[in-house]
Amino acid sequence: MKTTQTIFEDGGHKWTAIVRDPAKPEFLIDTNEYLVQHGGQGLLLDPGGSEIFPAVFSALSSEFDPSKIAGIFASHQDPDIVSSLALWLEFNPQMKCHVSWLWGSFIPHFGGKGDTFVPLPDEGAVIPLAGLQLQAVPAHYLHSSGNLHLYDRQARILFSGDVGAALLPAEKQGLFVEDFSSHIRFAEGFHRRWMGSNEAKRQWCERVSHLEIDMLCPQHGAIYQGADVQRFINWFDELHVGVLRS
Amino acid sequence: MTAEENTSEWQGGDEAFVPVATESSSGAALDLLRIVRINEEIKRVVSVAFKINIMALNAIFLAKRAGNAALGFGVLSNELRVFSKDLREGMMALTRQIHDLVAEVSVILQESRYDRVFAEAARAAPDHAQLQTVLERREARHGERADRIASLRRGLRLAIDDAARLVELGGVLAKSAKIEAAYGAGFASSLGQVSGEFDGIVEEIRSSLDSLRRSGFFGGSA
Repeated sequence: MKTTQTIFEDGGHKWTAIVRDPAKPEFLIDTNEYLVQHGGQGLLLDPGGSEIFPAVFSALSSEFDPSKIAGIFASHQDPDIVSSLALWLEFNPQMKCHVSWLWGSFIPHFGGKGDTFVPLPDEGAVIPLAGLQLQAVPAHYLHSSGNLHLYDRQARILFSGDVGAALLPAEKQGLFVEDFSSHIRFAEGFHRRWMGSNEAKRQWCERVSHLEIDMLCPQHGAIYQGADVQRFINWFDELHVGVLRS
Repeated sequence: MTAEENTSEWQGGDEAFVPVATESSSGAALDLLRIVRINEEIKRVVSVAFKINIMALNAIFLAKRAGNAALGFGVLSNELRVFSKDLREGMMALTRQIHDLVAEVSVILQESRYDRVFAEAARAAPDHAQLQTVLERREARHGERADRIASLRRGLRLAIDDAARLVELGGVLAKSAKIEAAYGAGFASSLGQVSGEFDGIVEEIRSSLDSLRRSGFFGGSA
């Protein structure tokens, strides 16, 4: 079963990371899910694949009412991101799925109806959550051609999807990056291969440099916090991506 | 297939509702395989029925050349063309029913995967009230789907029986054509050959429909 860890809390405004399932089969990639709570409502970020639904559900429901999940934010269309959609909709059929317009007719293959989806424009959009204004930030071609991240200005947290992801070995399962230089080795191959555009990467680095970010939360691996956030952005800015080998 | 066989089952009196692994997935997969086989047989019948249409057209021309001696044969050939058309239409209706069945059975296959995931979630979060509600709602939907499949299955069987009755009429027409061929004077031999072919083809269709009626999908052994 996965565990939950609160990474930000300010009254009824809360970020919970749902991470690390020791029972997860090796053949499934490990993923991080995040729940943003505000005013009694929840937004689930990249809820994960259907195979890990039981682990995510049991962890999440131990501290939050799943029927209060007002929406899902899907950074892109991959199965490890959102193939569990139909299962979450069982708890709240009115739940909305915010996703790039590009995938609006693809993701329904995972579940949902026409009115389930809120298409996000390429330039991003505000996603309201019980009075909280969350900002969908463009991250196209990183790695998906329709890709968005989610920024919470109040919490100063950027959910960065696959950007910042690291494929960590079993002995390095900490939730936060502890030693940037040793951690980033586990991120390098992933970013070189999965991130397809140097130009898109440059634009993203420029864009997020203007945001105040205390935590950069990827969908795989560990969370960057404090000075490691800017370290990561600088490192990524200099990395040559879109190549088969380094 | 009953609703119980189809999806999941209740576990014990006051205990929480937990879907357990059943044969639903493999049962649906087997049904899908049987439906595919039925569809292939239907396609074969449609193809053979079209052959009757062409043969009957040629037989009408032959009867025209034979003149008065083959008037009866000409009428029967025309009836065989009508039979061919009716049979093809009947088979097309079967194909539509097959399409509906494939759609329902495919949903069962997909849902059985979700049933397994929910069963795992129920083990990980036992006695979770909302999860129980979801499971009960799903169970009700499974029951409704099982009823729809049972109804489609009955409809398909009835349609195959109708087609079989139509083929009996085709058999009578083919045999009558054989008799009429004997009165074909100088054309008797040619007409006899054509009517024999009609008879053979109708037998082929009858055999196909018999195998459909014996399909395991309807509880038979084939």
